[in-house]
Amino acid sequence: MAPSTPPASLGNGKAATAVVLGGGSWGTALAHLMAVAGVKVQLWMRSDDRVAEINEQHTNSRYLKDKKIHERVVATSDLRSAASFAETIIVAIPSANFRAVAFELGEVVSGDQILLSATKGFEAENLTRMSQILREETCCRKIGAISGPNLADEVMDNHPTATVIASPMEEVIEKAGLLLAGPTLRVYGNHDLVGVEVMGALKNIIAIAAGVCAGMGYGQNSLAMLLTRGLTEISRFGEALGADKLTALGLAGLGDLVATCASPLSRNNTLGRKLASGMTLTQAQADSIKVAEGVNTTFAATKHASRLGVDMPITRAVHALLFEEMKPIDVLTRLMSRANRYEHTEVPIDAPRMVDGSVVDTALSVAARARGW
Amino acid sequence: MPIGGHLPALFAPRPPVYRPGAPRSGSLHGRPIGFAKEVPRAMQNTLRDRAIVEVRSRVLEACLMQSRLEDGMPLDVLVNDTLYHERKRLEIDRKSPTWAEDVAFWDGIKSRLGRSSEPEVKATLEQIIGRFTEEIRGNFNPTLYGVATRVLPRALPVLLNAMSPKRLLSRGLPDIADTVQIQGNVEGLRRMNELGTVILTPTHVSNLDSPVIGWAIYAMGLPAFTYGAGLNLFSNPVMSLFMRNLGAYRVDRQKTAPLYKDVLKEYATVSLELGEPNLFFPAGTRVRSGKIEQKLKLGLLSSGLRAYVNNLLTKKDKPNIYIVPCTLNYHLVLEAESLIEDHLQREGKAKYIILDDESTRARKILNFTQNLVNLEARITVHIGDPIDPFGNQVDPATGESVDRHGRSIDIRRYVTDRQGTPTHLPQRDRVYTADAGQAIAAEFLKHNVVVATQLVAFTLWETLRHRHRELDMYRLLRTGDEGSGTAITTLVQRVLKVYEALHDRAQRHLLHLEAGAVQSGDAARILETALRHFGTYHTRPVLVRRGDRVFCEDMKLLNYYSNRLRGYSLEKELEPLFKSEVA
Repeated sequence: MAPSTPPASLGNGKAATAVVLGGGSWGTALAHLMAVAGVKVQLWMRSDDRVAEINEQHTNSRYLKDKKIHERVVATSDLRSAASFAETIIVAIPSANFRAVAFELGEVVSGDQILLSATKGFEAENLTRMSQILREETCCRKIGAISGPNLADEVMDNHPTATVIASPMEEVIEKAGLLLAGPTLRVYGNHDLVGVEVMGALKNIIAIAAGVCAGMGYGQNSLAMLLTRGLTEISRFGEALGADKLTALGLAGLGDLVATCASPLSRNNTLGRKLASGMTLTQAQADSIKVAEGVNTTFAATKHASRLGVDMPITRAVHALLFEEMKPIDVLTRLMSRANRYEHTEVPIDAPRMVDGSVVDTALSVAARARGW
Repeated sequence: MPIGGHLPALFAPRPPVYRPGAPRSGSLHGRPIGFAKEVPRAMQNTLRDRAIVEVRSRVLEACLMQSRLEDGMPLDVLVNDTLYHERKRLEIDRKSPTWAEDVAFWDGIKSRLGRSSEPEVKATLEQIIGRFTEEIRGNFNPTLYGVATRVLPRALPVLLNAMSPKRLLSRGLPDIADTVQIQGNVEGLRRMNELGTVILTPTHVSNLDSPVIGWAIYAMGLPAFTYGAGLNLFSNPVMSLFMRNLGAYRVDRQKTAPLYKDVLKEYATVSLELGEPNLFFPAGTRVRSGKIEQKLKLGLLSSGLRAYVNNLLTKKDKPNIYIVPCTLNYHLVLEAESLIEDHLQREGKAKYIILDDESTRARKILNFTQNLVNLEARITVHIGDPIDPFGNQVDPATGESVDRHGRSIDIRRYVTDRQGTPTHLPQRDRVYTADAGQAIAAEFLKHNVVVATQLVAFTLWETLRHRHRELDMYRLLRTGDEGSGTAITTLVQRVLKVYEALHDRAQRHLLHLEAGAVQSGDAARILETALRHFGTYHTRPVLVRRGDRVFCEDMKLLNYYSNRLRGYSLEKELEPLFKSEVA
């Protein structure tokens, strides 16, 4: 537990305040993180029992076992009063319930408030991002997302890390940055909201695959291949949705991917390990109370990949594992037996290619190939 | 700190003295209505003078203010930068009627600049701003406006060329009232004009758009709108006279100096603050491809939001600015041939400005307008639903912004700080304006009125595209359908399929169907109407019927007209029919 610091202020003399919606592990960790930095935080959740636990025992045992939550975090189940408590509201609700909560939030917020999504996922139907849901369900426009290598348990233990605040609006990045930055968290800004959200969501698919890989007993070579090729395919998907290529190489892309795939703490990774041990998706999910967003995301990404014209072999493999009851070893065999390709262009190595520019060169190349030269 | 943040007092405009007169009531329902006895009040000269003074002082203040910032642009650098852009323009723009004058002016600036003291540089800057504003300002003459609007209905062609009106009239000209059909949320537009200041944002395909929308505004009983028309529209003397007196100010799109653009934008902002309704073509230029514009120019659009914040700062009683998108729908487009040619040649490259096309050729315009009479074709102006400068829907009854669930929004909160003071934050406001741009683009799709030519062109283009799917598009455009044509029965069947898909979308309020042939749902009649239109006017007929087959004679135009139906996922609707063809 960090030593108690006095309340932070945002330069206007008043104590800084923030609201977090969602009392899961990440929502609680975010609230704790800001409280440690001196921000007064209200944490909203539906369960009155857990509200009482957080306010009285300063723990959230369902999600974070016995880890101590800072006293400046005050839990509540009253959404209206929570929404009026602060200018900035961070929404950390699982993607399946995100829209319902956003709609309720729409009843009680005003246009000057800042909304940030801390949820990494999509709505499967139209591949709707969480920030888009906030935009659709509320009148707010000062909208952004938080993403990065931020495993909740490590954040609770005050391990140093960094996060990305993404928004097209600099006011959002600036104000949220003041709230979130602290002794254990560096903040980076990014205008590419699409890229940051898409990477944050898609990396969970690769995390499941990494879990499977580890669960099957494979080592670092296999993991590295998975991460690198995984990053390539999710960044292509992101680009098709309008994301910036560079975002994939940043904290919200590569950074988050490495953290999620390397850590046994990650729920998606854990799910992968269970699948490797022979459990079905239903069995693996019944085993954990935490939602593995990667399942939902795999479904959504597979559904839209062909429409977007993006080839996603690893995602297809995870889909086969999750929803088509294929065995891990069969999925792996299928992946490994794909045609060998050029790394950047994805052109198969043995496929004849046109030579650019010269018809004579093209004719000679084709003829040479035909003769087996 | 952004510059705007320092400037609330400076940018606070003076209170307005002028309010547009109450709009006339009267139902349209597609019927032509009579002309107003009184002259609708457009932005008058005294008001324009005030606007000009205001614009000059604001832009000059901003120049001075930013020059004092640590990383601001010093005044002499600013003058030099503007000089550089203008001299570069003058190298190319030799046809400009004011070329010699401009060269002399900028040469003078150049020779003085090296040895100027600071107050002298400031004076030079004032001179430049003065020159820009003087050029932009139009000249409103109420008497002429009255004449213009009475003559306009019979003289649409006169507007577009310098031919003798007598000669034109002798050949039978269409009455614009019979030719232009106004529909959609006309009441909403009128109401917005009462509750606040309106920015009308039409789609833009033709130079005819300006007179057509100008007439529609008049016919709806609204005061003349202020709008920035490209200099090329003023190069024609008759057109010029009317443009200047229909509330237009001059925009020179060849001028790339950032200072010039600031002056333009501020002119629009000030006129909105003075309560003048404005007309912006958010596409910025005529759309070349024939598609409905989805990428909009946000520069001018942002002046709506800026005016709104200034209105809040000066505590106007009607501070709201309303954006009303509308679509202009033509069976045939006057300049289609030049536009699609330009699009195909320059796709992916920088656009250039067409200075000479069908709209400057008298004979073309005459043919075009006579076809309007002969074919009883109508130009449909469809008025969309109002939105606010943040892209929210507006309840037409109350003028209040509402969210997607119909809950009302206090939009002041978007631009006020926690203490409730309105603020200018350009970076924030750009994001809001981008949102508004997206909302306008969505309204364009929603209020597009599908006509027979587009429907048939789309069906046939997709058919040919499928038939020659091994060809890339440019090759297909060159080779065409190689003389084999398409059987009428096949085409009718496919037109019906596309019609059904369109009808389904119309039911879901995703678009509109034209009241004539298209709405009848009779595929044969739709095809026949399209053939009739396509057989006339264009240099080569787009489509002709020979025996029981239809042939395309101009692939580029077919592509052009088909493009209007992009963005509705109609392409996939024909796939089942293509599959059965293969089987």
